Amino acid sequence: MTTATARSVAYLAAGILAGAAGFAWTVVALVTVALLSVTQLGGPVFLGAAWLTRRLATAERHRAGWVLGRPLDEPYEPTAPGTVRERVAAVARQPATWRDLAWLVASFPVGLVTGVAGTVLAIVPVATALAPAWLWAVPNGNAPWPLRPLLTTTPGRFAFAAIGLLVLPVAAWLVRALARGVASGARALLAPGAHLRLVNEAARLAETRARVVDAQAAELRRIERDLHDGAQARIVAAGMTLALAARKLRAGGPAVSDVDLARSQLDEALAELRRLVRGIHPPILTDRGLHAALAALAADSPLDVSLSGDPDARHPAAVESAAYFVVAEGLANAAKHAEASRCTIVLTPGRGTLTVRLTDDGKGGADLAGSGLDGLRRRVEALDGTLTLTSPPGGPTVLHAELPCAS
Amino acid sequence: MRIVIAEDLLLLRDGLVRLLTDTGHEVVAAVDNADELLDAVERHRPDLSLVDVRLPPGFRDEGLRAALRLRAGGRDTRVLILSQYVERAYAAELLADGRGGVGYLLKDRVTALDDFLDAVDRVAAGGTVMDPEVVRQLFTRNSRRSGVDALTPREREVLGLMAQGMSNSAICAALVLAQVSVEKHITNIFAKLDLPPADDAHRRVRAVLAYLNG
Repeated sequence: MTTATARSVAYLAAGILAGAAGFAWTVVALVTVALLSVTQLGGPVFLGAAWLTRRLATAERHRAGWVLGRPLDEPYEPTAPGTVRERVAAVARQPATWRDLAWLVASFPVGLVTGVAGTVLAIVPVATALAPAWLWAVPNGNAPWPLRPLLTTTPGRFAFAAIGLLVLPVAAWLVRALARGVASGARALLAPGAHLRLVNEAARLAETRARVVDAQAAELRRIERDLHDGAQARIVAAGMTLALAARKLRAGGPAVSDVDLARSQLDEALAELRRLVRGIHPPILTDRGLHAALAALAADSPLDVSLSGDPDARHPAAVESAAYFVVAEGLANAAKHAEASRCTIVLTPGRGTLTVRLTDDGKGGADLAGSGLDGLRRRVEALDGTLTLTSPPGGPTVLHAELPCAS
Repeated sequence: MRIVIAEDLLLLRDGLVRLLTDTGHEVVAAVDNADELLDAVERHRPDLSLVDVRLPPGFRDEGLRAALRLRAGGRDTRVLILSQYVERAYAAELLADGRGGVGYLLKDRVTALDDFLDAVDRVAAGGTVMDPEVVRQLFTRNSRRSGVDALTPREREVLGLMAQGMSNSAICAALVLAQVSVEKHITNIFAKLDLPPADDAHRRVRAVLAYLNG
């Protein structure tokens, strides 16, 4: 409490100097840059001025941290190396550059007024509280009533001190509120604004999109390869077997065994295609939705699985598919690696999200970096969701997926 | 016999029609959606309906739902469901009403012509036919269950064929065993799994599938 107040006083008092310095620098910088902008030196000087302005603004960010508890984050976008002209354009394009200047200018009047007010607010009650110690030395015969008894008699001075002590917490609160107000102003101009948030969000989206595109491409390659090596090859083999049978028939020989062989090759091709389809998008997911598909998974698992959730809830296909594969992988891992015997699946619809939580009683020690889980994580992140795994040695392992359902 | 077919893919629909007419059956209607299937069954009262699980407009499980509605209609409608994939839940739903005259097969089985025609006959006669794949799934799931564990490999084979809905004589033919030894195996299986003995094939299939699903 007292430290917060002391920091607030320091902040406000220092604001007088900081504001003056900031204002003076802004004026100098603007004039210099304006004068030199028509010469060759304009660009480098602008960049130098911007550099120093940023240093000053960052000092202000640290100072605001005295009051706000931690320094403000820097809002600058990294500028790519390039020609002076390009860098000037990049710096000038950033709102942060101009918001810094706006703060440096505004902080002068703001710092002056609040600095004086804060200092006075801090000194007056303290001085009043100490009245008996010094008032006797100050002659004030002309003070009007009611001040005269308060200032000139000993009991009056003690009463005056008492008033000071009563006012002290109020003054402290006022000083803190004032400092917070100024620091909030600094935050409004110096902290990262909507612009940087959007820039960062765009960068993040670009990155996840690139990952999704890669994952999709890898998936398509896998499907292509599976089709090529599996079903397609078997159908070609069946065709060859039939061609052979046709030749034998033309020659009047027996061809029953060849035809039977061709049929069994086709059966294998179909089984192969079914396996592939199940890996792409399980049919029951299309037919009946997530809950039914998970119930089928649970029934097929050797573990004792309990499933809770709304049987009739339908979600976007991509979400259902991701949730299905999360559970499928989780169940497979629990059965294969964790030596689990029980598993609980909980589906919770939230506000625009679907949460899938898988808990097993296995021996734990699972790792999200495993290949299967890593692919899942990519799949979930592609939907802007999150996949977390907690698996301490000794268990229990909890696989938790949050999937946004943009509706 | 008189058959109604509901299958949305023209290629397969024509293939089935040709296959069944060539083998002496009469296809009284071949439709491509669930509503027309219900109409056709109402109008023609066929001995059997062959129904694809997925039908327009939704391409989900309209065919299966239509089949369940037909079965719930109170009349003894016989339905053989054909599907590109098997889902145990669907098998359980088809068997739920406890009456015979129902089957669930992968479309691939059509290529094993004799087996397929045999399945058609058995369902039309009020029996039950389950795809070997359904039975295989049930077995993998039950691999840990003590009852199934107690069976000898031969008994497990017999149990699998029983679950598919085969009669004793068919099991004899498939495993090249004498009728007597098949009967002995079945008695042993029922004793080991603690199932009530049942003579007619359909009640037996139900008991076995209920056990495996349990």
